[in-house]
Amino acid sequence: MLSSTKLLGEELKVLNIGLEIFYRALKDQGIRVVHVEWSPSAKLEEELEEILDKLT
Amino acid sequence: MAITRIVVKENYYRDSLQLMKISGEVKGLDGVLEAAVLMATSTNKEILSRLGFIDPQIDKSTDDDMLVAIRASDEESASRAMKAVEEMLIRGTGPSEFERAPDIDSALDMLPDANLALISVPGDHVREIAMRLLDRGVHLHVFSDHVSIEDEVAMKRYAAERGLLVLGPGAGTSIINGKAIAFANVVDKGPVGIVAAAGTGLQETSSLLDLIGIGTAYGLGVGGNDPKEQVGGIMTIESIKVLEGQPDVEVIALVSKPPSPTVQDEILNYVFERTRKKYAVAFIGGKDVRISSVHIDRVKQARTLHSEVLLLAKMLGDDHYERALRELNVDVEGIVERELSRLEKNQRYLRGLYTGGTLAYEAQVMLGDYMDDLYSNAPIRSTRPLVDPFKSERNTIVDLGEEEFTKGRAHPMIDPMVRRLRITDEADDPDVAVLLLDFVLGYGSHDDPVGALIEDIKEARRRAEEGGRYLSVISHIVGTRKDPQSYEGSLEKLRSAGIIHMPTNALAVLVAGAVASRGSLPLQGIYERFLEVGC
Repeated sequence: MLSSTKLLGEELKVLNIGLEIFYRALKDQGIRVVHVEWSPSAKLEEELEEILDKLT
Repeated sequence: MAITRIVVKENYYRDSLQLMKISGEVKGLDGVLEAAVLMATSTNKEILSRLGFIDPQIDKSTDDDMLVAIRASDEESASRAMKAVEEMLIRGTGPSEFERAPDIDSALDMLPDANLALISVPGDHVREIAMRLLDRGVHLHVFSDHVSIEDEVAMKRYAAERGLLVLGPGAGTSIINGKAIAFANVVDKGPVGIVAAAGTGLQETSSLLDLIGIGTAYGLGVGGNDPKEQVGGIMTIESIKVLEGQPDVEVIALVSKPPSPTVQDEILNYVFERTRKKYAVAFIGGKDVRISSVHIDRVKQARTLHSEVLLLAKMLGDDHYERALRELNVDVEGIVERELSRLEKNQRYLRGLYTGGTLAYEAQVMLGDYMDDLYSNAPIRSTRPLVDPFKSERNTIVDLGEEEFTKGRAHPMIDPMVRRLRITDEADDPDVAVLLLDFVLGYGSHDDPVGALIEDIKEARRRAEEGGRYLSVISHIVGTRKDPQSYEGSLEKLRSAGIIHMPTNALAVLVAGAVASRGSLPLQGIYERFLEVGC
């Protein structure tokens, strides 16, 4: 409850994870937004890297 | 002689919007007759076959593969198109000015006080991302579908314990601080707060309110599963709590398909016992809720989105209510009579092709008791299921946002292809009297939803005319004059093509149903039951 009031009535600051179209829509409304690169293959690579890190 | 090239790229993923954009750009190249770049889902294979791309390679491909299909006037154009596809797949389609982060931690370094994350990755991957963000105190709007109920419950419980909101999964729309999140319309800020487990329901409600001069401060989309037994309305109740605490919210609208009985009791008990503001409850398609005399001045119910908006206006004062009645008043009988006079004797069926799920649902709720041969791919109560969702029967209401049409494709509010093909099919059926269409404007939607279909509708009517009949087309635009698309321009396109536009979906359904039933529908009775507000 306390935390939620930091969203409603506050300036929106958004992380967009997924479809790029939503980044543009948020940006067009003057909202501060950072687009997070994401794809299943990138995730797999990330996991692979983590595994490699553990091995070395 | 046209050249066809089909390439299967195994285990290769790009999201459906990027692929739609690439397809569009390649199609515009010189010498290219048709182009489709898409993931190899069953829906997309069906589309390819409709576009004339038939090849054993397509049959063998799987959901994880990408298909590139090009038809060109000559070898050189085909090769050029293929090369362009490859370049765009490598380069990506997003402009370079994007403020990008390679992962969530870096994004939070760039925006340490982020208060909302909008998540639209494939459903299987949502929970892991969501939990990391909840740990960092970020509220979530989860647009993604296909998140398991177990994951949804886990995320929502975790969030509720921390005072955070998880809007969705499957939340198409939110309005927060007057800003549109995902698919949403641009509306003025005002005294209304909406909690909706129905995305297009939120869009229709907030847009209609805007049309009659009432603003919406917040519209919280909790996702269609929230009022179901397994989820227990966790975020509906959390959202009510939050809106109750907002001084700028005067009345609260609850918009949903009927919750499961125990969840409905929990929600209503919460509203009766723990809240003070005024509530307009629209559990569309549900049984009437019993409201005791203690609460009847503060909590009221509506049966459609149309009457929900009238109810909210009434709660805010007589001036608002009178304006609402004026704005939503149309000569239903006159329109029905005119359309009926133009039909041939055999034309007696309705085909509703919806992009908005809640609107398709509302159409069934209104017509179900009056049409005993109503079919749908997403049937409710007495509606019969379509054997093949791609093929209409008798009176049919199709929700084109259902999984069978969207697997590996963008939602039909963005990608008009599936509906374009369907319009042609319906128009060629000589028994069809009426097409019923919704057009959803606002952020997230197609740049010009009416323009994307208008030529297909005109062509469909030309074909019907060649067959010696008139095809009635009834439409409704969900949108406002402040949306990024032109509302007036969209209306004008409809009017100049002779397409009837109704101010609410409920009115469009009423007219379309009356025309298809050749005037046998009890117009007055349906109007009173679904479109009027009790005292």
